[in-house]
Amino acid sequence: MKTFRGGFHVPDSKALTAEAAIEQMPAVTDYYVSLSQHIGKPAQPVVNAGDEVVEGQLIAQASSFVSANIHSPVCGEVVELVKRKNAQGALVDCIHIKSNGKQDKFTLPPLVDPTPEQIIQRIADAGIVGMGGAGFPTAVKLQPQDPVDSLIINAAECEPYLNCDNRLMIERTEGFLAGVRLIAKAIGVANVYIGIEANKMEAYNKLLLQEGVIADTKEVLAAKKEDDIVVVLLKKKYPQGAEKTIIKACVGREVPVGGLPAAVGCIVDNVGTAYAVYDAVVNGTPLYKRLMTVSGRGVAAPKNLEVAVGTPLSSVVELCGGLKDDAVKLVSGGPMMGFSLMNLDVTTTKTDSGFLALTDKEASTVLPTPCINCGRCASVCPMKLMPMYIDFYTTVGDTENAVKYGALNCFECGTCAYVCPAKRPIVQSVRLTKMKAKEKK
Amino acid sequence: MSNYVYSSSPHIKSPRTTRRIMIDVCIALLPACIAGCILMGTASPATPELGWLSFMHIAICCLTCVASEWIFSLCCKKSFKQILNEFDFTSLVTGLLIGMNLYPSSKWYVGIFASIFAIVVVKMLFGGTGKNLVNPAIAGRIFAFIAFGAAFGGVMGYMGPSGSAWSIESPVSHGSVTAGATPLQVLLGGASDATSTLTNLDLFLGTGVPGTIGETCKLALIVGGIYLVVRGVLNFRWPLVYIATTGVVAVLIAWIDNVNALSNVNSVMIGEAFNDAVGVFLPSILSGGLILGAIFMATDYVTTPNTKLGNYIYFVFLGVLTAVLRRAIHGEAVSFAILLGNLIVPLLDLYVRRKPFGYVKPEKKPRQKKVKTAEPVTDQKTMKEGE
Repeated sequence: MKTFRGGFHVPDSKALTAEAAIEQMPAVTDYYVSLSQHIGKPAQPVVNAGDEVVEGQLIAQASSFVSANIHSPVCGEVVELVKRKNAQGALVDCIHIKSNGKQDKFTLPPLVDPTPEQIIQRIADAGIVGMGGAGFPTAVKLQPQDPVDSLIINAAECEPYLNCDNRLMIERTEGFLAGVRLIAKAIGVANVYIGIEANKMEAYNKLLLQEGVIADTKEVLAAKKEDDIVVVLLKKKYPQGAEKTIIKACVGREVPVGGLPAAVGCIVDNVGTAYAVYDAVVNGTPLYKRLMTVSGRGVAAPKNLEVAVGTPLSSVVELCGGLKDDAVKLVSGGPMMGFSLMNLDVTTTKTDSGFLALTDKEASTVLPTPCINCGRCASVCPMKLMPMYIDFYTTVGDTENAVKYGALNCFECGTCAYVCPAKRPIVQSVRLTKMKAKEKK
Repeated sequence: MSNYVYSSSPHIKSPRTTRRIMIDVCIALLPACIAGCILMGTASPATPELGWLSFMHIAICCLTCVASEWIFSLCCKKSFKQILNEFDFTSLVTGLLIGMNLYPSSKWYVGIFASIFAIVVVKMLFGGTGKNLVNPAIAGRIFAFIAFGAAFGGVMGYMGPSGSAWSIESPVSHGSVTAGATPLQVLLGGASDATSTLTNLDLFLGTGVPGTIGETCKLALIVGGIYLVVRGVLNFRWPLVYIATTGVVAVLIAWIDNVNALSNVNSVMIGEAFNDAVGVFLPSILSGGLILGAIFMATDYVTTPNTKLGNYIYFVFLGVLTAVLRRAIHGEAVSFAILLGNLIVPLLDLYVRRKPFGYVKPEKKPRQKKVKTAEPVTDQKTMKEGE
């Protein structure tokens, strides 16, 4: 089974929602749609307070090359532009829309047999961003500076608890594969890989049943047709679904330090992104809904939900039976790279793959003790850094040396901090060093 | 609704803690402790009290180590509750190891001084857990060995090239052969007829083998080592590298000795000398404190390098040093080898670095010579994640 070097098998806890079919989140009355749901500049609002909008209507426009359109999740009236805290704790502009209960829906004209330019244009119009968590505008990603020859679909979903990609592949297999083919067409590549972790065998088997999808074995690959999609089974290991590690595992290439995947001829897209592309091109639906796993043992009824962007998290949690009393930690996203929340007073965005409420048993709240130099952090680091030194130098305030040991190459997967027996806050140290290094520049 | 824990990711952590690791090490040391006490007590029908003395030594060392750590912390104005919360069993491991490194015939106060030195001077003054430069147990043992000489045990009196025999008793011994020269010294001293009374199996099981309390029963030590490997505390590779290197170098040294002893040299005789020397392999790895040192002391996390290559260099260095020192001083050298090895670890950590993922060799700039240490590249471009 293919994989990368380093990493650690974190107990995945996916069983909580692995069998739960996707449910639709019913409409709520108030939506707060954030204007920065992507990397890059916040979108520019094109509606004013008092305007009436319909579901799917453009409400904010991409303000620069790296930015994305935003569409209304509901029919209703624009109340005001407010500042609210997002999951990361920063104040961002949000459009407050009050639902009026109408069922109208605005869609873009469906494209039949589109050209690559048309697909990319549609992706930009539909406001599609990377749905794995980073939120990089997909249309920008699909126009790389370097020549690319491979498309890798990231179906590893290596974060524990999360199941939305898994359920999407099982329940919406055809749409997902159609989306993959559209992306491949847009960038004009023949090598398409779907990297899937070995704990999603149901989705893997379902994918292999589809026409034009082949397994990653030598005999099968020998008979590969031009537009066949190769499904690569990857070892169950965190962080298998990070961009660089999945490229290494699927095609064996190493993205150079500081480089983008396109530097080694690859483009990586998430399962959710592929489905959103299908939805936008074939159905003409812009991106204003996404799948989300609400899980953790602190949630009464864990579910996989399709949630409209801008829905208050409190309503989402309410639908899942509310929080249990023993929940001690709220997390937006996965448990390894997600953000800790102070309360449920935030709204969903295009990049929210999950919400978790963890109990005391799941979330470690043990205080750090001195480093005993066991070297576990270094042995699991997928970037082959030496996290113990980064942590040490950050703690003593020596940013220069922390940077020397590669703090800036770290993508904060958190594997080091997970395995650390001394519970050192290594990722926090890395973030601090990154911040300080940025200030210095 | 705001009393939730708020922290940086990751939000889940492995159940393994420093305390658990150290408790595992304590558990792994127990078989050797018990076997040592039993073996010492049954070594000679005349001296059954040696078993109890062995137990007493270990108990005294454990108590002293833990007590001196706590007293030191109290002097640093930590509250007792805080000390208990922070107690991570590392001092108990040190105490067990020092106790296992004493002879049953050692004076009772030797362990106390060794423990206080190990904990206060070597560990706490350098900053406590994780900050010590050398392994406290090793330093404590060597401190006792040098400072107390005869009171430490029988070994000191018998170091020297003249060799020794079983019957010679330690000046402070309880009148037992157990306190005499270790078989290793006999082996190294060249009195080959004396070793013939002990088979390799004896050395492995520790039956009738003189030595320190913890080092004699190799079987128990290996059982403890396997437990640590199974628990994921120890990487089995490193003790093996150390032990194998020692054996191989010991064979090479014996070969050179044998060849030097020949009156006229020809290729057949060199071959024969080698065949003779190979016989040294098993006794040399089964003798003395090598296995105890290799499994429990050289592999101490704090005093081993952080990189794989660094570890290979370190353990091969230890192996070579052990074999060479053993030949040079005709005595037990494992603790000295480890002490010296510990001291090169910071050097190895400084110069042996790993190549980061996607490392690109920086283009050589003309006319700007800098110290060549493979520094990780530090490109400032932002990296995308997760997707």
